[in-house]
Amino acid sequence: MAVAATARATTHPRLVRTWAMAASLALSLTALGIASYLTLTHYSDPAALACPDTGIVNCTLVTTSSWSVMLGIPVAVLGLVWAAVMTALTVPWAWRSSRPWVDRARLAVSGAGAAMVLYLVYVELFRIGAICLWCTAMHVTAVCLFGVVLAARVPAPPGDPGRSAG
Amino acid sequence: MSNATTGSSRQARPTTKNQSTKPATKRPPGARAPGAAAKKRAPGGRATAATKRPASSRGARQAPRSGAAPGRRAPARASFRSRHPVLTALVPVAIVVAVIATMVLLKATGGSSPGASHPATSADTGTTALPAGILASLSVPTATLDAVGSPASVVPPTAIGGNGAILRGADGKPVVTYIGAEYCPYCAAERWALAVALSRFGTFSHLSGTHSGSADVYPDTQTLSFYGSSYSSPYVDFQPVEEATNQQVGGTYQALQTPTAAQSSLMSTYDTAGSIPFLDIGNRYVITGASYSPQVLQGLSRQQIAAQLSDPSSPVAQAIDGTANDITAAITNVTGSQPSSVASSPAIAAIAKKLGA
Repeated sequence: MAVAATARATTHPRLVRTWAMAASLALSLTALGIASYLTLTHYSDPAALACPDTGIVNCTLVTTSSWSVMLGIPVAVLGLVWAAVMTALTVPWAWRSSRPWVDRARLAVSGAGAAMVLYLVYVELFRIGAICLWCTAMHVTAVCLFGVVLAARVPAPPGDPGRSAG
Repeated sequence: MSNATTGSSRQARPTTKNQSTKPATKRPPGARAPGAAAKKRAPGGRATAATKRPASSRGARQAPRSGAAPGRRAPARASFRSRHPVLTALVPVAIVVAVIATMVLLKATGGSSPGASHPATSADTGTTALPAGILASLSVPTATLDAVGSPASVVPPTAIGGNGAILRGADGKPVVTYIGAEYCPYCAAERWALAVALSRFGTFSHLSGTHSGSADVYPDTQTLSFYGSSYSSPYVDFQPVEEATNQQVGGTYQALQTPTAAQSSLMSTYDTAGSIPFLDIGNRYVITGASYSPQVLQGLSRQQIAAQLSDPSSPVAQAIDGTANDITAAITNVTGSQPSSVASSPAIAAIAKKLGA
């Protein structure tokens, strides 16, 4: 039991590597920017997306397809909401929070993002037959963010100069 | 102006019920759950936990390999986790990446081509790229088209008077204006014929596959969408407008494109009911509504429809190719019988004469 207790103490959310805080916030802000652009073009002119049209790469076809709406909500808007929530969960205050639900929410929301990426990649490849570069950038960001959140949960070695004690 | 043809048929999209019928697994009283021994391990899965495994557990019944002590693998795994904690934590990410890589590989090797043999099911609501086979089938052989001619079951274009100038685009070519929507089953029917006709004057690229609304009349009629496509022709300037998708958002279909003021003016002049599809050929001929019944296409996949286009005796060819011939003849009447190879074919020449130049 003493060993287990020690292990829990070292995974305390206040002991988070600084690089993880910085990387996760940077990725969240990147996702927020991409999602904002996709949402703006969704409501203005989907064909105005800065994206090459080379057959398999066709942003307009993807973002205007019937699959671009889920439960009546544009996927671009869902992405924007997700990125906003992730940004809130990856600001330094959230990383240093001692409330356990913040850590769980960060893991759950980033995991949900990664799962959504799998679904959207399937839709792009096998249902629409085209790839949207902006969506792909969003997917890469989401998977990287999931990885950073997971890696940040690994306890930092005692005395690690790269960790933040909050 | 876009609702006349589907009118009162709009309904709320049926809710897909979650049919989770997987029964709960029942375990005999007193039986232990698989992996129960593993759950007994100390947190972190350390070596001491493995040694506590009951003698009756599965691992204990297996003969140790090469003299290794029973339960040796568990400490090895625990050791890996403790030596490479970050790598272990990133296993879920590796799984995500592996799944994506698998999908890309499947796609690259030609597995599950989108749009191929899509049955008409309400679960399929996507817009897909068209396989090359369907695109090729739009170029129906001239002999087939001549054999079909202009069946009596097909409604021909209406001539709207020959006094006005032919409507021409910026490049001087006669303009063919199409206004429709992806949810509209009548547009679904008309698009096939229009695509076949225009394929005799030029080349489409990036045509996509779609179907009419699932909750509308003639539901899920498989068709093409002009949205996102491009068309090049030395003879005509094709200007398609798809006003909405086949997906309802808040009870209305999601908007796609808006006609220009000139296109709206054409429609209000020649289609006072505001019904779609609306087709204007050089401001000399108009088609309002479908030229044949979408019933002909019911239950057929896009590939099945495409395959029947070259069989002049099939109902699909009679409807689509027959309508395409009428449209083709109307177009040749505004292009000055160009190209001659099309205008001089027996069926087209006869229909063009009947329509009146």
